[in-house]
Amino acid sequence: MSHLSNPLATPSQLFKVSSSNALPIELQDSIRFYTARLIQAAGILLRLPQDITAQANVLLFRYWLVDDLMAHEFSDVSAAIVYLTAKISASPRSLRSITNVYAYLLSPSSYLSNQTLDASPDPESYYLSEAAYILYRNRLLHIEGQVLNALGFNTHVALPHPLAITYLQALDIFSPAYNSKNKNTGKEVGRRAIEYLNTALLSPQMLYLTHQPCALATAAVYLAARDSGVKLPESQWWEVFDCEREELGFLVVGMGSLEGVVRREVGRWSGKGMLLTENVRKELVNMGRVMGNGNRGAEGEMDEMAEMERMLDAKVGED
Amino acid sequence: MTSNLGSSAQILKIHTSHTHPRIHFRREHPTFTTAESHGSKDALHILDKVCTPASILFDPKFTSRQRPSPALPFRTFPPSPTAIRLPHSLPSTISVQNLDPEEKGEDMDKRHPSSFQQLEKLGEGTYATVFKGRNRQTGELVALKEIHLDSEEGTPSTAIREISLMKELKHENIVSLHDVIHTENKLMLVFDYMDKDLKKYMDTQGDRGALNPVTIKSFMHQLLKGIDFCHTNRVLHRDLKPQNLLINNKGVLKLADFGLARAFGIPVNTFSNEVVTLWYRAPDVLLGSRTYNTSIDIWSAGCIMAEMYTGRPLFPGTTNEDQLVRIFRIMGTPSERTWPGISQYSEYKQNFQMYATQDLRVILSQIDPSGIDLLQRMLQLRPELRISAHDALNHPWFSDLAGNMGHQQQQPGQMGQIPVQQRGYAQPGVVAQGGYQY
Repeated sequence: MSHLSNPLATPSQLFKVSSSNALPIELQDSIRFYTARLIQAAGILLRLPQDITAQANVLLFRYWLVDDLMAHEFSDVSAAIVYLTAKISASPRSLRSITNVYAYLLSPSSYLSNQTLDASPDPESYYLSEAAYILYRNRLLHIEGQVLNALGFNTHVALPHPLAITYLQALDIFSPAYNSKNKNTGKEVGRRAIEYLNTALLSPQMLYLTHQPCALATAAVYLAARDSGVKLPESQWWEVFDCEREELGFLVVGMGSLEGVVRREVGRWSGKGMLLTENVRKELVNMGRVMGNGNRGAEGEMDEMAEMERMLDAKVGED
Repeated sequence: MTSNLGSSAQILKIHTSHTHPRIHFRREHPTFTTAESHGSKDALHILDKVCTPASILFDPKFTSRQRPSPALPFRTFPPSPTAIRLPHSLPSTISVQNLDPEEKGEDMDKRHPSSFQQLEKLGEGTYATVFKGRNRQTGELVALKEIHLDSEEGTPSTAIREISLMKELKHENIVSLHDVIHTENKLMLVFDYMDKDLKKYMDTQGDRGALNPVTIKSFMHQLLKGIDFCHTNRVLHRDLKPQNLLINNKGVLKLADFGLARAFGIPVNTFSNEVVTLWYRAPDVLLGSRTYNTSIDIWSAGCIMAEMYTGRPLFPGTTNEDQLVRIFRIMGTPSERTWPGISQYSEYKQNFQMYATQDLRVILSQIDPSGIDLLQRMLQLRPELRISAHDALNHPWFSDLAGNMGHQQQQPGQMGQIPVQQRGYAQPGVVAQGGYQY
């Protein structure tokens, strides 16, 4: 049993995610991003320690490698996983608190929706009656069983956050050379590294499923030091932390790209607070119509090549 | 577009120079967690106190760099209890497991409850009922632990912990989990069948509960082997007691009931102090410690050893405080002098009745001198002085164990010559304590 490493996605699982009979990749990206963001928002309102919220984020993506994205309402999966992760931690949360928080987050009054915070919220829009609560609870408990089953009860998640701090210590970033009375560069770098790691949790690239914590921590340290203009050793220091140059390079790009993803997603869904399965179905139909204009058949008959071409076209169109 | 982005930035941390991250680790939360402690603004002050490799290793012979912080005196700090007690080093390369569903699909999930014939009930716990069962295909006997899924809470967290740990802990002295059958309303865990637990074994086989010394030595050796395996794999059992030690008719002892067990990482988080049945609870836990470690299982093992000799629990306390008093009556009341830092514990009281340390040889006259020596090392009040499971297994008391004789190496020198501190978890002369004052 290893406490510093995680089970990673296998190539066949990643292939399945991108294969032709799955949802179009960009829709998958939207679902993953919005649901992961919802978990973070719920974690804040539930006052969960960030390490538990982060574990929930990782478990969500792991679950979706095994089960179909469209099997349940996304927000229900998110709530069930937050409940499960908190339950086995030292800070459990009651189902009632979780359903209340999700009812608020999914309501039009939620700050997740395209609203300004100072607009007076409408409490009726997120009131959860006893009957509605029981229905909600039963749905979440059903999904909890599905999640445990899909994960084979393997709920351990190793996070890179403590490693990043340890690495910065080893690199001497917290020494007084970097920290004087009016300048706290060392702490700034530490904070920045943690920020990168938290941001990466939302990445639809699923970086936490493809890379071990040591590599994630190394990349976060690299980026944080670069942002703060701190010089790291000129030698290949990352090798000491079990991270290779190629992996570091990939992660540096991956971690830096989330801002673009957010822009794209917010534009695509015009500032929606949260996606519903219904929205995705509608979008699929829309895309189907667009695709139908070409010389290809209906979406069901699309082969892999066509899918690739379509995605490439979309990429070109974006730029 | 920009305003949209602004609204999501409230939840998201986006790395642009002008956006301040809104996700902070909450700092008022009382539980100390790894990520939080490093992330929150307040927690970062700990970094000032951390000694860096450069400050320890600095030697002007090898570098032209400035001596780190010549102006500031090097600050010593109490070494982290976890840093010095972890008995095994970490692997530098990390193996990659995969999430492939094929792997779990094979032995988990597929079977149906009806593939086991349910026989008589063996016991009932707080959240589960255990039945004797028979595998219909192979005829082999198994123990079926049936857990009803609560309609209000779902799968009990104890069951999730137990399954996730037991899937990994495969050892001859740990009861093995063969199968998990998960249905909509119940969860059935299939374990090795064991004849009885140690409590029942002592009641039926013992002389008024007391066992013979040969059996005790064999059981203690197996118990410690099981504990050592758990600790090597970074798992604390946290609830060792005779009822959780299972014995089969071949005299094999196995650890069971990992419902309260948990994996400990680095650094050890604060754990709930509501663990371990009172009688086998370590004094540091009773005093309110939330940063206990592997040493709590050793205390329990010591209590169990004494109980096997006498047939009666060593410290049968009724309340938290009564439990402490019973321990102090025999082991002596600790003070700030004998246990520096004890007054910091939340449950410590200035007015504890002062007791002198009793001689275990008198109280437990059944135990031979070498056995008393081992017991004394396991029942150290201060957790950092308690012997580790690994060292306990090498204690000379086990050198004449049947089947272990001949190839067990005799420790050089007599036990009495080695100061107790050197055999516990604490390393003598930790660098950070003095010696590097500039």
